Amino acid sequence: MIVAEQKPLAEMKTLINGAENVLVVGCGTCVTVCFAGGTREADIVSTSLRMATKLDGSPQQVTHSTVQRQCEWEYLDIIEEQVKAADIVLSLGCGIGVQAIAEHFPDAWVVPGLNTSFLGLPTEHGVWEERCAACGECLLAVTGGICPVARCSKSLLNGPCGGSENGHCEIDPDVACAWQLIVDRMSSKGKLDALLEIQPPKNWQNSRDGGPRKIVRQDLRLVEFED
Amino acid sequence: MEGDCHYLEGNLNARRRVEYVQNLLEEIGLDGRRIRMFNISSAMGAQFAGYASELAATIREVGPNPLRDYQAYLAEQQEAVASGMV
Ligand code: SF4
Ligand code: SF4
Repeated sequence: MIVAEQKPLAEMKTLINGAENVLVVGCGTCVTVCFAGGTREADIVSTSLRMATKLDGSPQQVTHSTVQRQCEWEYLDIIEEQVKAADIVLSLGCGIGVQAIAEHFPDAWVVPGLNTSFLGLPTEHGVWEERCAACGECLLAVTGGICPVARCSKSLLNGPCGGSENGHCEIDPDVACAWQLIVDRMSSKGKLDALLEIQPPKNWQNSRDGGPRKIVRQDLRLVEFED
Repeated sequence: MEGDCHYLEGNLNARRRVEYVQNLLEEIGLDGRRIRMFNISSAMGAQFAGYASELAATIREVGPNPLRDYQAYLAEQQEAVASGMV
């Protein structure tokens, strides 16, 4: 899932400064399960902003609404009237949700209430860890299901580096060395030999280095009829 | 007592949540000292009284809730919403 965390309330206050009517929009998908921008959080944020701006002496009207999925235009139609009535939309969706609102409602001014952090999973209650960097060319088959791109601090494809110590990465003793994990896993599967094969340089053009990415599936596209 | 809870580690979890609410109140500008958690057993009458006085003293220092009229304020907002402003 996409993992995000809330910006501090003070920053949100700055972002909505000057607006009379503010609409906080939560999202019912990834940011709900990482407790950053679901219905409950949208409620708490809008209530907190109402109280905080009231205490500051310049009370702002803050309402909230949560859509099932902020990152698809069709899920946004339901809040059209509320968006129109608002001077500022404070999105509690990930960066994609914020942009989806801005694209779908070109007249709206939308600001982010979250910092979108990474693609990851919860490893225990209240803890999320990065697992994938969306590199565009998955090589988990080579590394036993452990991602060196997202989880090795240097994104080494042929590791470990000399900084690996007792299973920890040299950047921080609290960070597991991804390559130690990879070696351990390959050993446990009796496939350690496979790591002797040197991985060639990765084609980073499929990642961010090739510019903004786009996937087109002709089989799914709808035919446009001409009159 | 701390860590000795009928719900096992429940009061340790509760303490973290109380800290979260304290921070939230601070961020809002309502003074986080308005909420506090004390651990006492049912057999600790004297301590209970002591904590109650301590909290009362803190609350007097912090002063009344500046949003006491918040309900009225919310009703005002709801009216505005109903009248089509929001
Ligand atoms: S190799 Fe690339 S696509 Fe696969 S998990 Fe790692 S970052 Fe994600
Ligand atoms: S210590 Fe391990 S995780 Fe850290 S940079 Fe080196 S190989 Fe990567």
